[in-house]
Amino acid sequence: MTVVASCAMAGPRAVRVKHRLRWGAWLLSAIVLLVVSMLLGAAIRARIMNAEVFLAYLTSEQVLLGARNALILGTLALAVASVIGLVVALMRVSGNPILAGLSATYVYFFRGTPMLIQLLFWFNALPTMFQRVHLAVPFTDIVLLDAPTTAVVTPFVAALAGLGLAEGAYMAEIIRAGILAVDKGQRAAARAIGMTEAQVLRHIVIPQAARIIIPAGGNQYIMLLKSTSLASAIGFLELLRISTDIYSSNFMVIELLAVAAFWYLVMTAFATAIQTALEKTFPQR
Amino acid sequence: MDSSIKAAAVVLDSVSKSYGAVEILKNVSVTIAPGEVVTLLGPSGAGKSTLLRCINHLETIGAGRIYVHGKLIGYREVGDTLHELSDREISAQRRSIGMVFQSFNLFRHMTVLQNVMSGPTHVLRAPKAEAEALARDLLARVGLPDKADRYPSELSGGQQQRVAIARTLALAPSVMLFDEPTSALDPELSQEVILTIRSLAEQGYTMLIATHEMAIARDFADRVIFMVQGEVVEDVSARSFFTSPRHERSRQFVARHAG
Repeated sequence: MTVVASCAMAGPRAVRVKHRLRWGAWLLSAIVLLVVSMLLGAAIRARIMNAEVFLAYLTSEQVLLGARNALILGTLALAVASVIGLVVALMRVSGNPILAGLSATYVYFFRGTPMLIQLLFWFNALPTMFQRVHLAVPFTDIVLLDAPTTAVVTPFVAALAGLGLAEGAYMAEIIRAGILAVDKGQRAAARAIGMTEAQVLRHIVIPQAARIIIPAGGNQYIMLLKSTSLASAIGFLELLRISTDIYSSNFMVIELLAVAAFWYLVMTAFATAIQTALEKTFPQR
Repeated sequence: MDSSIKAAAVVLDSVSKSYGAVEILKNVSVTIAPGEVVTLLGPSGAGKSTLLRCINHLETIGAGRIYVHGKLIGYREVGDTLHELSDREISAQRRSIGMVFQSFNLFRHMTVLQNVMSGPTHVLRAPKAEAEALARDLLARVGLPDKADRYPSELSGGQQQRVAIARTLALAPSVMLFDEPTSALDPELSQEVILTIRSLAEQGYTMLIATHEMAIARDFADRVIFMVQGEVVEDVSARSFFTSPRHERSRQFVARHAG
Protein backbone atom coordinates (compact mmCIF):
# COMPACT_ATOMS: atom_id res chain seq x y z
CA MET A 1 0.00 0.00 0.00
CA THR A 2 2.79 2.41 0.88
CA VAL A 3 4.43 1.81 -2.49
CA VAL A 4 1.26 2.81 -4.36
CA ALA A 5 0.92 5.92 -2.23
CA SER A 6 4.48 7.05 -2.88
CA CYS A 7 4.01 6.56 -6.67
CA ALA A 8 0.86 8.67 -6.65
CA MET A 9 2.70 11.40 -4.73
CA ALA A 10 5.48 11.54 -7.31
CA GLY A 11 2.95 12.52 -9.96
CA PRO A 12 2.93 11.47 -13.63
CA ARG A 13 6.29 11.69 -15.39
CA ALA A 14 6.17 13.28 -18.83
CA VAL A 15 6.89 10.68 -21.55
CA ARG A 16 6.95 10.76 -25.34
CA VAL A 17 4.83 8.25 -27.27
CA LYS A 18 6.39 6.91 -30.47
CA HIS A 19 4.38 4.59 -32.70
CA ARG A 20 5.72 1.99 -35.07
CA LEU A 21 6.29 3.16 -38.62
CA ARG A 22 4.28 1.07 -41.12
CA TRP A 23 7.28 0.97 -43.47
CA GLY A 24 6.03 -2.10 -45.41
CA ALA A 25 3.04 -0.22 -46.79
CA TRP A 26 5.20 2.76 -47.79
CA LEU A 27 7.65 0.49 -49.55
CA LEU A 28 4.85 -1.20 -51.48
CA SER A 29 3.43 2.21 -52.47
CA ALA A 30 6.76 3.24 -53.88
CA ILE A 31 7.10 0.01 -55.90
CA VAL A 32 3.59 0.32 -57.36
CA LEU A 33 4.14 3.97 -58.34
CA LEU A 34 7.42 3.04 -60.00
CA VAL A 35 5.87 0.21 -62.05
CA VAL A 36 2.93 2.36 -63.14
CA SER A 37 5.16 5.21 -64.26
CA MET A 38 7.39 2.80 -66.20
CA LEU A 39 4.35 1.40 -68.04
CA LEU A 40 3.03 4.89 -68.81
CA GLY A 41 6.46 5.96 -70.00
CA ALA A 42 6.75 2.96 -72.31
CA ALA A 43 3.30 3.66 -73.78
CA ILE A 44 4.14 7.32 -74.40
CA ARG A 45 7.59 6.60 -75.90
CA ALA A 46 6.09 4.05 -78.28
CA ARG A 47 3.37 6.57 -79.30
CA ILE A 48 0.79 3.79 -79.11
CA MET A 49 -2.05 6.24 -79.56
CA ASN A 50 -2.81 9.29 -81.63
CA ALA A 51 -4.72 11.66 -79.33
CA GLU A 52 -6.36 13.53 -82.21
CA VAL A 53 -7.80 10.34 -83.69
CA PHE A 54 -9.00 9.30 -80.25
CA LEU A 55 -10.82 12.61 -79.72
CA ALA A 56 -12.27 12.62 -83.22
CA TYR A 57 -13.87 9.20 -82.81
CA LEU A 58 -14.88 9.76 -79.18
CA THR A 59 -17.98 11.70 -80.16
CA SER A 60 -18.51 10.37 -83.67
CA GLU A 61 -22.08 9.53 -84.58
CA GLN A 62 -21.40 5.79 -85.02
CA VAL A 63 -19.64 5.43 -81.69
CA LEU A 64 -22.39 7.32 -79.86
CA LEU A 65 -24.97 5.03 -81.48
CA GLY A 66 -23.02 2.00 -80.28
CA ALA A 67 -22.76 3.38 -76.76
CA ARG A 68 -26.48 4.14 -76.72
CA ASN A 69 -27.35 0.64 -77.97
CA ALA A 70 -25.12 -0.94 -75.33
CA LEU A 71 -26.72 1.13 -72.58
CA ILE A 72 -30.25 0.29 -73.73
CA LEU A 73 -29.48 -3.42 -74.12
CA GLY A 74 -27.71 -3.66 -70.75
CA THR A 75 -30.46 -1.78 -68.93
CA LEU A 76 -33.34 -3.73 -70.47
CA ALA A 77 -31.48 -7.00 -69.83
CA LEU A 78 -31.14 -6.03 -66.16
CA ALA A 79 -34.89 -5.36 -66.00
CA VAL A 80 -35.65 -8.74 -67.60
CA ALA A 81 -33.12 -10.43 -65.28
CA SER A 82 -34.63 -8.82 -62.18
CA VAL A 83 -38.13 -10.04 -63.01
CA ILE A 84 -36.88 -13.55 -63.84
CA GLY A 85 -34.65 -13.49 -60.75
CA LEU A 86 -37.54 -12.55 -58.44
CA VAL A 87 -39.79 -15.29 -59.81
CA VAL A 88 -37.04 -17.92 -59.70
CA ALA A 89 -35.99 -16.89 -56.16
CA LEU A 90 -39.60 -17.10 -54.93
CA MET A 91 -39.92 -20.55 -56.54
CA ARG A 92 -36.77 -21.62 -54.71
CA VAL A 93 -38.03 -20.54 -51.28
CA SER A 94 -41.65 -21.64 -51.91
CA GLY A 95 -41.21 -24.95 -50.10
CA ASN A 96 -42.68 -26.83 -53.07
CA PRO A 97 -40.15 -29.50 -54.13
CA ILE A 98 -40.96 -29.30 -57.85
CA LEU A 99 -40.79 -25.48 -58.01
CA ALA A 100 -37.59 -25.47 -55.93
CA GLY A 101 -36.05 -28.16 -58.14
CA LEU A 102 -36.95 -26.33 -61.36
CA SER A 103 -35.50 -23.15 -59.94
CA ALA A 104 -32.25 -24.82 -58.92
CA THR A 105 -31.94 -26.45 -62.35
CA TYR A 106 -32.50 -23.12 -64.09
CA VAL A 107 -29.79 -21.47 -62.02
CA TYR A 108 -27.40 -24.37 -62.66
CA PHE A 109 -27.83 -24.28 -66.44
CA PHE A 110 -27.83 -20.56 -67.01
CA ARG A 111 -25.05 -19.80 -64.56
CA GLY A 112 -23.06 -22.81 -65.69
CA THR A 113 -22.76 -22.08 -69.40
CA PRO A 114 -20.87 -19.16 -71.01
CA MET A 115 -23.06 -16.19 -71.88
CA LEU A 116 -21.60 -16.17 -75.39
CA ILE A 117 -22.84 -19.71 -76.04
CA GLN A 118 -26.29 -18.73 -74.77
CA LEU A 119 -26.47 -15.70 -77.04
CA LEU A 120 -25.46 -17.72 -80.10
CA PHE A 121 -27.88 -20.44 -79.07
CA TRP A 122 -30.96 -18.20 -78.87
CA PHE A 123 -30.06 -16.41 -82.09
CA ASN A 124 -29.85 -19.73 -83.98
CA ALA A 125 -32.22 -22.01 -82.10
CA LEU A 126 -35.36 -19.90 -81.87
CA PRO A 127 -35.94 -19.51 -85.63
CA THR A 128 -35.33 -23.26 -86.06
CA MET A 129 -37.72 -24.23 -83.28
CA PHE A 130 -40.52 -21.94 -84.44
CA GLN A 131 -40.88 -21.12 -88.13
CA ARG A 132 -43.45 -18.36 -87.70
CA VAL A 133 -44.51 -16.18 -84.79
CA HIS A 134 -48.28 -15.98 -84.60
CA LEU A 135 -49.86 -13.92 -81.83
CA ALA A 136 -53.64 -13.60 -81.82
CA VAL A 137 -56.31 -12.65 -79.28
CA PRO A 138 -58.13 -15.89 -78.42
CA PHE A 139 -61.73 -16.30 -79.66
CA THR A 140 -61.48 -13.31 -82.02
CA ASP A 141 -60.08 -12.69 -85.47
CA ILE A 142 -57.66 -10.08 -84.20
CA VAL A 143 -54.09 -10.96 -85.09
CA LEU A 144 -51.46 -9.00 -83.20
CA LEU A 145 -48.40 -10.35 -84.96
CA ASP A 146 -47.74 -12.79 -87.72
CA ALA A 147 -44.25 -12.96 -89.15
CA PRO A 148 -41.42 -15.37 -89.84
CA THR A 149 -39.38 -15.90 -86.67
CA THR A 150 -36.17 -14.75 -88.31
CA ALA A 151 -37.77 -11.31 -88.71
CA VAL A 152 -38.82 -11.17 -85.04
CA VAL A 153 -35.66 -12.58 -83.48
CA THR A 154 -33.36 -9.76 -84.48
CA PRO A 155 -29.86 -9.63 -83.03
CA PHE A 156 -31.26 -7.21 -80.43
CA VAL A 157 -34.06 -9.58 -79.34
CA ALA A 158 -31.71 -12.56 -79.21
CA ALA A 159 -29.14 -10.57 -77.23
CA LEU A 160 -31.81 -9.33 -74.81
CA ALA A 161 -33.12 -12.86 -74.29
CA GLY A 162 -29.64 -14.31 -73.90
CA LEU A 163 -28.31 -11.69 -71.48
CA GLY A 164 -31.60 -11.48 -69.56
CA LEU A 165 -31.89 -15.25 -69.08
CA ALA A 166 -28.26 -15.72 -68.11
CA GLU A 167 -28.24 -12.75 -65.76
CA GLY A 168 -31.60 -13.89 -64.33
CA ALA A 169 -29.83 -16.88 -62.81
CA TYR A 170 -27.39 -14.61 -60.95
CA MET A 171 -30.15 -12.24 -59.88
CA ALA A 172 -32.17 -15.21 -58.58
CA GLU A 173 -29.33 -16.13 -56.22
CA ILE A 174 -28.86 -12.53 -55.10
CA ILE A 175 -32.59 -12.02 -54.47
CA ARG A 176 -32.82 -15.37 -52.66
CA ALA A 177 -30.00 -14.33 -50.35
CA GLY A 178 -31.83 -11.05 -49.70
CA ILE A 179 -35.09 -12.80 -48.89
CA LEU A 180 -33.40 -15.28 -46.56
CA ALA A 181 -31.71 -12.43 -44.69
CA VAL A 182 -35.07 -11.12 -43.41
CA ASP A 183 -35.57 -13.01 -40.16
CA LYS A 184 -38.43 -15.45 -39.73
CA GLY A 185 -39.60 -13.63 -36.61
CA GLN A 186 -40.59 -10.53 -38.56
CA ARG A 187 -42.51 -12.64 -41.04
CA ALA A 188 -44.33 -14.41 -38.20
CA ALA A 189 -45.14 -11.03 -36.62
CA ALA A 190 -46.49 -9.72 -39.93
CA ARG A 191 -48.68 -12.77 -40.38
CA ALA A 192 -49.82 -12.48 -36.75
CA ILE A 193 -51.18 -8.98 -37.39
CA GLY A 194 -53.19 -10.40 -40.27
CA MET A 195 -51.10 -9.73 -43.36
CA THR A 196 -51.57 -12.15 -46.24
CA GLU A 197 -48.48 -13.86 -47.68
CA ALA A 198 -48.44 -11.35 -50.53
CA GLN A 199 -48.60 -8.41 -48.10
CA VAL A 200 -45.79 -9.86 -45.97
CA LEU A 201 -43.68 -10.06 -49.10
CA ARG A 202 -44.52 -6.56 -50.26
CA HIS A 203 -44.41 -4.63 -46.99
CA ILE A 204 -41.89 -6.57 -44.90
CA VAL A 205 -39.63 -8.87 -46.92
CA ILE A 206 -38.92 -6.98 -50.15
CA PRO A 207 -38.13 -3.55 -48.61
CA GLN A 208 -35.57 -5.20 -46.32
CA ALA A 209 -34.24 -7.62 -48.91
CA ALA A 210 -33.67 -4.60 -51.19
CA ARG A 211 -30.93 -3.37 -48.84
CA ILE A 212 -28.98 -6.53 -49.53
CA ILE A 213 -29.93 -6.86 -53.20
CA ILE A 214 -29.01 -3.30 -54.28
CA PRO A 215 -25.20 -3.36 -53.82
CA ALA A 216 -24.93 -6.79 -55.47
CA GLY A 217 -27.44 -5.78 -58.15
CA GLY A 218 -25.39 -2.67 -58.95
CA ASN A 219 -22.38 -4.88 -59.45
CA GLN A 220 -24.37 -7.11 -61.81
CA TYR A 221 -25.57 -4.05 -63.77
CA ILE A 222 -21.97 -3.03 -64.40
CA MET A 223 -21.07 -6.57 -65.47
CA LEU A 224 -24.06 -6.65 -67.77
CA LEU A 225 -23.25 -3.30 -69.42
CA LYS A 226 -19.84 -4.70 -70.30
CA SER A 227 -21.29 -8.07 -71.34
CA THR A 228 -23.31 -6.34 -74.05
CA SER A 229 -20.04 -6.50 -76.00
CA LEU A 230 -20.76 -10.24 -76.42
CA ALA A 231 -23.71 -9.29 -78.65
CA SER A 232 -21.14 -8.25 -81.28
CA ALA A 233 -20.86 -11.99 -82.02
CA ILE A 234 -24.42 -12.10 -83.36
CA GLY A 235 -24.14 -8.86 -85.27
CA PHE A 236 -25.78 -6.43 -82.91
CA LEU A 237 -24.42 -2.94 -83.47
CA GLU A 238 -23.14 -2.20 -79.99
CA LEU A 239 -20.08 -0.27 -78.92
CA LEU A 240 -17.40 -2.93 -79.39
CA ARG A 241 -18.79 -4.14 -82.73
CA ILE A 242 -18.82 -0.62 -84.13
CA SER A 243 -15.30 0.09 -82.85
CA THR A 244 -13.87 -3.11 -84.36
CA ASP A 245 -15.67 -2.41 -87.65
CA ILE A 246 -14.03 1.00 -87.79
CA TYR A 247 -10.51 -0.13 -86.92
CA SER A 248 -10.63 -3.04 -89.35
CA SER A 249 -10.87 -0.45 -92.12
CA ASN A 250 -8.52 2.25 -90.80
CA PHE A 251 -6.19 0.18 -88.53
CA MET A 252 -6.43 2.68 -85.66
CA VAL A 253 -6.81 -0.26 -83.26
CA ILE A 254 -5.60 1.27 -79.99
CA GLU A 255 -7.45 4.56 -80.52
CA LEU A 256 -10.79 2.83 -81.13
CA LEU A 257 -10.35 0.38 -78.26
CA ALA A 258 -9.62 3.38 -76.03
CA VAL A 259 -12.76 5.12 -77.31
CA ALA A 260 -14.86 2.04 -76.50
CA ALA A 261 -13.23 1.69 -73.09
CA PHE A 262 -13.94 5.35 -72.36
CA TRP A 263 -17.69 4.90 -72.96
CA TYR A 264 -17.81 1.70 -70.92
CA LEU A 265 -16.25 3.67 -68.06
CA VAL A 266 -18.90 6.39 -68.47
CA MET A 267 -21.64 3.74 -68.33
CA THR A 268 -20.08 2.23 -65.23
CA ALA A 269 -20.02 5.64 -63.55
CA PHE A 270 -23.71 6.02 -64.43
CA ALA A 271 -24.54 2.60 -62.92
CA THR A 272 -22.53 3.39 -59.78
CA ALA A 273 -24.38 6.69 -59.35
CA ILE A 274 -27.75 4.89 -59.56
CA GLN A 275 -26.58 2.29 -57.05
CA THR A 276 -25.38 4.94 -54.60
CA ALA A 277 -28.68 6.83 -54.87
CA LEU A 278 -30.70 3.63 -54.28
CA GLU A 279 -28.56 2.69 -51.28
CA LYS A 280 -29.41 6.05 -49.76
CA THR A 281 -33.12 5.47 -50.44
CA PHE A 282 -33.00 2.10 -48.66
CA PRO A 283 -30.54 2.64 -45.81
CA GLN A 284 -29.44 -0.20 -43.58
CA ARG A 285 -31.23 -0.10 -40.20
CA MET B 1 -72.36 -25.61 -31.55
CA ASP B 2 -71.85 -26.10 -27.84
CA SER B 3 -72.87 -22.93 -25.99
CA SER B 4 -69.82 -23.14 -23.74
CA ILE B 5 -67.60 -22.83 -26.82
CA LYS B 6 -69.50 -19.73 -27.91
CA ALA B 7 -69.22 -18.09 -24.49
CA ALA B 8 -65.50 -18.75 -24.05
CA ALA B 9 -62.73 -16.52 -25.41
CA VAL B 10 -60.44 -19.41 -26.33
CA VAL B 11 -61.17 -23.13 -26.44
CA LEU B 12 -58.64 -25.84 -27.24
CA ASP B 13 -60.48 -29.10 -27.69
CA SER B 14 -58.22 -32.19 -27.63
CA VAL B 15 -55.45 -30.52 -29.67
CA SER B 16 -52.49 -32.62 -30.74
CA LYS B 17 -49.50 -31.72 -32.85
CA SER B 18 -46.31 -33.50 -33.84
CA TYR B 19 -43.20 -32.73 -35.85
CA GLY B 20 -42.45 -36.04 -37.52
CA ALA B 21 -42.38 -38.63 -34.78
CA VAL B 22 -42.03 -36.09 -31.96
CA GLU B 23 -45.28 -35.20 -30.23
CA ILE B 24 -45.27 -31.53 -29.25
CA LEU B 25 -48.84 -31.27 -27.97
CA LYS B 26 -50.68 -34.30 -26.59
CA ASN B 27 -54.44 -34.03 -26.45
CA VAL B 28 -54.51 -30.55 -24.91
CA SER B 29 -57.86 -29.18 -23.78
CA VAL B 30 -58.09 -25.70 -22.29
CA THR B 31 -60.89 -23.16 -21.93
CA ILE B 32 -60.28 -19.47 -21.26
CA ALA B 33 -63.11 -17.13 -20.32
CA PRO B 34 -63.34 -13.54 -21.63
CA GLY B 35 -61.24 -11.21 -19.46
CA GLU B 36 -59.25 -14.00 -17.92
CA VAL B 37 -55.46 -13.71 -17.54
CA VAL B 38 -53.85 -17.13 -17.81
CA THR B 39 -50.15 -17.93 -17.54
CA LEU B 40 -48.64 -20.91 -19.24
CA LEU B 41 -45.77 -22.32 -17.19
CA GLY B 42 -43.48 -25.25 -17.69
CA PRO B 43 -39.93 -26.21 -18.52
CA SER B 44 -38.42 -25.36 -21.92
CA GLY B 45 -39.66 -27.73 -24.58
CA ALA B 46 -42.99 -28.27 -22.84
CA GLY B 47 -44.89 -27.02 -25.91
CA LYS B 48 -45.93 -23.61 -24.57
CA SER B 49 -44.83 -21.64 -27.63
CA THR B 50 -46.28 -24.18 -30.03
CA LEU B 51 -49.60 -24.04 -28.21
CA LEU B 52 -49.73 -20.25 -28.60
CA ARG B 53 -48.70 -20.42 -32.26
CA CYS B 54 -51.48 -22.91 -32.95
CA ILE B 55 -54.08 -20.49 -31.57
CA ASN B 56 -53.45 -18.01 -34.41
CA HIS B 57 -52.60 -20.78 -36.86
CA LEU B 58 -48.95 -19.85 -37.26
CA GLU B 59 -48.63 -23.62 -36.74
CA THR B 60 -51.01 -26.21 -38.11
CA ILE B 61 -52.50 -28.80 -35.77
CA GLY B 62 -52.62 -32.56 -36.19
CA ALA B 63 -55.87 -33.22 -34.39
CA GLY B 64 -58.55 -31.45 -32.37
CA ARG B 65 -60.13 -28.02 -32.72
CA ILE B 66 -59.31 -24.49 -31.61
CA TYR B 67 -61.99 -21.82 -31.20
CA VAL B 68 -61.56 -18.13 -30.53
CA HIS B 69 -64.80 -16.43 -29.54
CA GLY B 70 -66.75 -19.33 -30.99
CA LYS B 71 -64.98 -19.29 -34.36
CA LEU B 72 -63.10 -22.40 -35.47
CA ILE B 73 -59.52 -21.28 -36.20
CA GLY B 74 -57.63 -22.25 -39.32
CA TYR B 75 -60.07 -24.83 -40.64
CA ARG B 76 -63.57 -25.35 -42.00
CA GLU B 77 -65.44 -28.39 -40.74
CA VAL B 78 -67.25 -30.29 -43.46
CA GLY B 79 -68.73 -33.59 -42.34
CA ASP B 80 -66.03 -35.26 -40.29
CA THR B 81 -63.11 -33.48 -41.99
CA LEU B 82 -61.28 -30.24 -41.22
CA HIS B 83 -60.25 -28.37 -44.39
CA GLU B 84 -57.56 -25.74 -43.97
CA LEU B 85 -58.77 -22.21 -44.78
CA SER B 86 -57.27 -20.02 -47.49
CA ASP B 87 -54.42 -17.60 -46.76
CA ARG B 88 -56.89 -14.71 -46.96
CA GLU B 89 -59.39 -16.28 -44.56
CA ILE B 90 -56.71 -17.18 -42.01
CA SER B 91 -55.27 -13.66 -42.21
CA ALA B 92 -58.72 -12.25 -41.45
CA GLN B 93 -59.02 -14.49 -38.38
CA ARG B 94 -55.59 -13.43 -37.10
CA ARG B 95 -56.57 -9.76 -36.95
CA SER B 96 -58.53 -10.31 -33.73
CA ILE B 97 -55.79 -12.41 -32.12
CA GLY B 98 -52.83 -10.33 -30.95
CA MET B 99 -49.43 -11.90 -30.47
CA VAL B 100 -46.28 -10.64 -28.74
CA PHE B 101 -43.04 -12.52 -29.34
CA GLN B 102 -39.98 -13.28 -27.24
CA SER B 103 -37.67 -11.51 -29.69
CA PHE B 104 -40.05 -8.53 -30.25
CA ASN B 105 -39.93 -8.95 -34.05
CA LEU B 106 -40.40 -5.27 -34.86
CA PHE B 107 -40.16 -4.40 -38.55
CA ARG B 108 -36.64 -3.04 -38.67
CA HIS B 109 -37.08 -0.88 -41.76
CA MET B 110 -40.02 1.02 -40.25
CA THR B 111 -40.02 3.71 -37.57
CA VAL B 112 -41.73 2.99 -34.26
CA LEU B 113 -44.78 4.92 -35.45
CA GLN B 114 -44.91 3.01 -38.77
CA ASN B 115 -44.62 -0.26 -36.87
CA VAL B 116 -47.64 0.57 -34.74
CA MET B 117 -49.55 1.85 -37.78
CA SER B 118 -48.71 -1.20 -39.91
CA GLY B 119 -51.76 -3.23 -38.86
CA PRO B 120 -54.37 -0.51 -39.30
CA THR B 121 -52.96 0.83 -42.57
CA HIS B 122 -51.90 -2.35 -44.38
CA VAL B 123 -54.40 -4.83 -42.96
CA LEU B 124 -57.51 -2.81 -42.10
CA ARG B 125 -56.85 -0.13 -44.73
CA ALA B 126 -57.72 2.61 -42.27
CA PRO B 127 -57.14 6.24 -43.31
CA LYS B 128 -53.59 7.33 -42.56
CA ALA B 129 -54.48 10.22 -40.26
CA GLU B 130 -56.78 8.01 -38.22
CA ALA B 131 -54.14 5.26 -37.95
CA GLU B 132 -51.50 7.76 -36.91
CA ALA B 133 -53.69 9.27 -34.18
CA LEU B 134 -54.39 5.78 -32.84
CA ALA B 135 -50.71 4.83 -32.99
CA ARG B 136 -49.62 7.97 -31.11
CA ASP B 137 -52.27 7.32 -28.48
CA LEU B 138 -51.07 3.71 -28.04
CA LEU B 139 -47.42 4.79 -27.82
CA ALA B 140 -48.42 7.16 -25.03
CA ARG B 141 -50.19 4.32 -23.27
CA VAL B 142 -47.07 2.12 -23.30
CA GLY B 143 -45.02 5.09 -22.11
CA LEU B 144 -43.12 5.86 -25.32
CA PRO B 145 -44.75 8.97 -26.79
CA ASP B 146 -41.36 10.52 -27.66
CA LYS B 147 -39.96 7.52 -29.58
CA ALA B 148 -42.39 7.68 -32.53
CA ASP B 149 -39.77 8.63 -35.11
CA ARG B 150 -37.02 6.32 -33.89
CA TYR B 151 -36.07 3.03 -35.53
CA PRO B 152 -36.26 -0.24 -33.56
CA SER B 153 -32.44 -0.58 -33.52
CA GLU B 154 -32.24 2.68 -31.55
CA LEU B 155 -34.43 1.35 -28.71
CA SER B 156 -33.67 -0.82 -25.68
CA GLY B 157 -35.14 -4.31 -25.60
CA GLY B 158 -37.80 -3.29 -23.10
CA GLN B 159 -38.82 -0.34 -25.25
CA GLN B 160 -38.95 -2.55 -28.35
CA GLN B 161 -41.21 -5.00 -26.57
CA ARG B 162 -43.55 -2.19 -25.50
CA VAL B 163 -43.71 -0.99 -29.12
CA ALA B 164 -44.52 -4.57 -30.15
CA ILE B 165 -47.36 -4.57 -27.61
CA ALA B 166 -48.66 -1.26 -28.98
CA ARG B 167 -48.47 -2.65 -32.55
CA THR B 168 -50.61 -5.58 -31.45
CA LEU B 169 -53.11 -3.39 -29.60
CA ALA B 170 -53.61 -1.24 -32.71
CA LEU B 171 -55.82 -3.96 -34.18
CA ALA B 172 -58.01 -4.03 -31.03
CA PRO B 173 -57.57 -7.79 -30.57
CA SER B 174 -60.09 -9.77 -28.54
CA VAL B 175 -57.37 -12.09 -27.27
CA MET B 176 -53.70 -11.39 -26.57
CA LEU B 177 -51.07 -14.12 -26.74
CA PHE B 178 -47.65 -13.49 -25.17
CA ASP B 179 -44.81 -15.87 -26.08
CA GLU B 180 -42.23 -15.41 -23.29
CA PRO B 181 -42.38 -11.62 -23.55
CA THR B 182 -39.61 -10.96 -21.02
CA SER B 183 -37.23 -13.87 -21.64
CA ALA B 184 -34.88 -11.79 -23.81
CA LEU B 185 -34.69 -8.95 -21.28
CA ASP B 186 -32.62 -8.27 -18.18
CA PRO B 187 -34.55 -7.97 -14.89
CA GLU B 188 -34.81 -4.19 -14.99
CA LEU B 189 -36.16 -4.05 -18.55
CA SER B 190 -38.43 -7.03 -17.80
CA GLN B 191 -40.00 -4.97 -15.07
CA GLU B 192 -41.19 -2.21 -17.44
CA VAL B 193 -42.71 -4.79 -19.79
CA ILE B 194 -44.39 -6.61 -16.89
CA LEU B 195 -45.94 -3.33 -15.75
CA THR B 196 -47.30 -2.74 -19.27
CA ILE B 197 -48.78 -6.24 -19.39
CA ARG B 198 -50.22 -5.75 -15.94
CA SER B 199 -52.01 -2.57 -16.97
CA LEU B 200 -53.55 -4.49 -19.88
CA ALA B 201 -54.75 -7.13 -17.42
CA GLU B 202 -56.37 -4.40 -15.39
CA GLN B 203 -58.09 -3.06 -18.53
CA GLY B 204 -59.79 -6.42 -18.93
CA TYR B 205 -57.93 -7.90 -21.91
CA THR B 206 -58.14 -11.66 -22.29
CA MET B 207 -54.54 -12.84 -22.14
CA LEU B 208 -52.63 -16.08 -22.42
CA ILE B 209 -49.00 -15.61 -21.36
CA ALA B 210 -46.28 -18.23 -21.76
CA THR B 211 -43.54 -17.16 -19.38
CA HIS B 212 -40.73 -18.07 -17.01
CA GLU B 213 -41.46 -14.91 -15.04
CA MET B 214 -43.01 -15.96 -11.73
CA ALA B 215 -43.99 -12.36 -10.97
CA ILE B 216 -46.55 -12.42 -13.77
CA ALA B 217 -48.03 -15.71 -12.66
CA ARG B 218 -48.18 -14.79 -8.99
CA ASP B 219 -49.07 -11.11 -9.03
CA PHE B 220 -51.83 -10.70 -11.55
CA ALA B 221 -52.71 -13.92 -13.34
CA ASP B 222 -56.04 -15.54 -12.60
CA ARG B 223 -54.95 -19.00 -13.55
CA VAL B 224 -51.89 -21.13 -14.17
CA ILE B 225 -51.66 -23.87 -16.76
CA PHE B 226 -48.62 -26.02 -16.11
CA MET B 227 -47.32 -28.07 -19.02
CA VAL B 228 -44.72 -30.81 -19.21
CA GLN B 229 -43.73 -32.55 -22.46
CA GLY B 230 -46.77 -31.44 -24.39
CA GLU B 231 -49.31 -32.27 -21.74
CA VAL B 232 -51.30 -30.07 -19.40
CA VAL B 233 -50.32 -31.33 -15.96
CA GLU B 234 -52.18 -28.76 -13.91
CA ASP B 235 -54.83 -26.13 -14.68
CA VAL B 236 -55.71 -24.29 -11.47
CA SER B 237 -56.03 -20.82 -9.96
CA ALA B 238 -52.72 -19.01 -9.61
CA ARG B 239 -53.04 -18.94 -5.84
CA SER B 240 -53.51 -22.66 -5.44
CA PHE B 241 -50.72 -23.44 -7.92
CA PHE B 242 -48.19 -21.65 -5.76
CA THR B 243 -49.58 -22.62 -2.33
CA SER B 244 -50.62 -26.21 -2.96
CA PRO B 245 -49.34 -27.68 -6.23
CA ARG B 246 -50.92 -31.07 -6.65
CA HIS B 247 -48.51 -32.90 -8.90
CA GLU B 248 -44.95 -33.95 -8.25
CA ARG B 249 -43.65 -32.04 -11.32
CA SER B 250 -45.42 -28.82 -10.37
CA ARG B 251 -44.21 -29.11 -6.78
CA GLN B 252 -40.62 -29.34 -8.02
CA PHE B 253 -41.17 -26.46 -10.43
CA VAL B 254 -42.64 -24.18 -7.74
CA ALA B 255 -39.91 -25.11 -5.29
CA ARG B 256 -37.20 -24.28 -7.82
CA HIS B 257 -38.61 -21.08 -9.26
CA ALA B 258 -40.61 -19.49 -6.50
CA GLY B 259 -38.34 -20.24 -3.56
